[in-house]
Parts: sequence; C-alpha cells; structure tokens
Amino acid sequence: MWRAVGADHREFLDATLPYLEVVWQVARQAAWDGQDPEDLVQETYLHAYAGFGSFRGENTRAWLAAICLNVARSQARQRRRRPLEVSGPAVLDALPWTRPDVAQGAADVADAVIAGLDAEEVSRCLRLLPEPQRACIVLMDVAGYTAREAAETLGCPRGTVLARVHRGRRRLAQLLAEAGVSHGSS
Amino acid sequence: MDRRDRHDELLAAFLAGHLDPAAARHWDEHLLECEQCWRAAREDRAGRQAAQALRQPVPPGLADRVAFAVEVAAAASAGAERRPRPAARSRPPGRHGRRRRWRLAGAGILAAGLVVSLTITLFPGEHRTGNVPAAVAAVARYAQGLPARGQHSPSGGSPGAVEVGRPVTVTAGGQRIVLRTWRLGRAEAVVAVSGRPFPMPARARGLPGRGMAWSARLGKLGLYCLNGRTSELVAAPVPAARLAALAARLPLA
Repeated sequence: MWRAVGADHREFLDATLPYLEVVWQVARQAAWDGQDPEDLVQETYLHAYAGFGSFRGENTRAWLAAICLNVARSQARQRRRRPLEVSGPAVLDALPWTRPDVAQGAADVADAVIAGLDAEEVSRCLRLLPEPQRACIVLMDVAGYTAREAAETLGCPRGTVLARVHRGRRRLAQLLAEAGVSHGSS
Repeated sequence: MDRRDRHDELLAAFLAGHLDPAAARHWDEHLLECEQCWRAAREDRAGRQAAQALRQPVPPGLADRVAFAVEVAAAASAGAERRPRPAARSRPPGRHGRRRRWRLAGAGILAAGLVVSLTITLFPGEHRTGNVPAAVAAVARYAQGLPARGQHSPSGGSPGAVEVGRPVTVTAGGQRIVLRTWRLGRAEAVVAVSGRPFPMPARARGLPGRGMAWSARLGKLGLYCLNGRTSELVAAPVPAARLAALAARLPLA
C-alpha cells in the first residue's frame, strides 16, 4: 500500500521503532571510525521518514537496514575512506583445533577464538573484510536477518548472500586467529 | 556464478540448514571425508559465533532520541508545502569541494526551513519575523512536550531538583545537544547542554555582567542561556523574572 507523502510521523514511528534494535546492531558495525552509531541510527530514521511516503511497507526491517547501510556508505564515501582489504595466509592451524573424530574434548576453534579476543577485536577484524562480505555478516549474524531478508536488503540473490557470508565468516575466523596468535606470542 | 561460488553457496546453505534431507546427508558424508570442507565448516562456525558476540543491547534513551528527531523533522515539514526531509543532521557537512558547498547550501536551506516552520508551528502567538536558530528551536520544541515525557524518577542533581525521565541526545543545527528534564517543586524545566554555544535568537537580550549569557521569550517559554566551557540553555514555562532564580537551583555545570 502506498502512503501519502507527509504521512503522520506517529504512524511512521509505530511502523519503524519496533525495529530499532536491528537498526542499532547494523549501525554499530556499519558506522565508520569516529562516527557515533547513535548518530547513524538517528540519520537512518530521518532518511526513512523522508522516504516513508513512497515506502510500500513490504518488509520494514529490510528497508531500514538498507537505508542504514546506504547512509553509512554514503557518509564513508564523503570521508573518502574505504574498507581495508587484507589478504594473508590461513593460520587456523596455529590454534589447537582438531576434528572431533580424532580427539574428543579438544579445544574448539570458535571457543578458543572468542575466549581469547574481546568484542573490540572482533569488530576491528570485521572491518577488515571486503564490504559485501561484511554487510552480509552484519545483517545475518549480528542483526539476525534471514538470508532472504539480507538478499532483499542488499538487492542481490539469496545464493550470493550465502556465499558471501560463508567466505566472510571464514576470513573473519582467520583474522581472529591471527590476532590471537599475535597476542599470545607478545 | 563459478564452481567455487556454487560450492560456497551450497556449503553455506547446508550449514544454515537450508538443504533438503537428501542433500544434507550428502554434505554430512562429504564433510567426514574432505579435510578442506571440514575446515571451511569449522571456520564458518567460528566466524559466525564471533560475529554473534557483537550483539549489544540498544542504549537507553535511543528510542526517545530517534522519536524526538523525527518529531522535529515532522514539525519542520508541517509548515512547508514540500515532502518531509531530515531536519537534524548528525554531522557537519563533508569537507571536499563541490559536495561540501552543495551540502552547506542544503543544510542552510534546511535550517532556515526548520526555523521558519518551528517559529510558525510552535509559537503562533509570536511575531513571525523573529529568527530562532535551529538548535534553540529544537530545545524549545522539546520543552513544550514536557508534560507528556517520562515519569518521575529521582536520580540526584542539586538539592531539590529531581530528574524526570532519561536524558535525550539530539543533533540540530549541527549541534549535538543533551536534554534533561528537571522538576523543582511544581515547576519543570529542560536543561540543554551542548559543546557549542547556543546562538542568540534575534529577539533575545544579553545579560550584563554574565559574559555571553542571554535570555529570550518564545511563546509561553522562557529561555536562559549560559555560555562557559559548555553552553547550557534552560527552557521553562515560567516568567522571565523567575528564570534566573530557577536556573540557579538546577544542576548546571
């Protein structure tokens, strides 16, 4: 259903504030260095309000996330900052992980990674991923979107989202393992 | 899509539980035999769990801030004949060349629209030729909504002053402003704090002997601004003569 331009702001808030939590999760990871995620959330809602008149109302969650990502991207572009892409060797072997059929009860990779690194480190490593992979991880793993919703938000096929999130997760794990190794050796 | 993409997509779909039982059984068996895919599955899981650990609760007051910013935008657009546009910006304009000029011009038009709209919408009894800066207008707009905001919740402050509700942060006219509501007896007042001085409205008057301090009247609201290390603007529906005394009892820096 198309809404009239200049729709009541209370109608807008009723429709969008229930999704504040997911917008917040997306904004925290999409904000560029030095940008306050709360500012990005506010900017997202103001952009959404401006476009609410032409919003069809099919998937508010995906619509808000797309706006948040676009605003963050646009502001980052204005600052002429680009995500740093890092290529490096897979160093997961450095961590004590084994297949469960080889050694029962051995330390789990995920547990080892997460136990050794704080959220700031995870966030820093996430920022090193190529933007398309990072966006998929932020939407699916941080904000809790389904692959279909993430695909709708990003305007690409669901299969592409699945492939990107998979590669992104692997790269994230490798970067975290690298960070864990360097911490351990210092 | 190349074979690697397809492989990654299928493995990711398997790990997400999106495959039908037959395909899932195939991948189960494959993972037991293929070292490379087994590692990929482990890394996928590790990356997913690490990313999930980034979830954080929404900060208290963010919903109020967003709602208030939208209210300000709605008030700004109410008097205009064009579609609603963002009225409060989270950051100053960019710094490069033509874009910056366009953004500055846009921000100027937007701020002017906000000022005019808020002057017309919020203070219909006032002379409409007066100039109310966007930051001051936003504080006044918030102060007008006092009775509807928050619940009585004591939380410190100077003797006698009781904070009502939670602080709300908003950005208007390029200024980041923290708004707190205080109750003193039967009177309520909003104290707005900003790192930048609140601009003087056209009809404000400077207060002698108090540096950059000024006071103004907007409709039923009295405004009293003190500029020091931070700028503090007190807004309350009290006569101007009482405002300085009221401000003296509030927890200003």
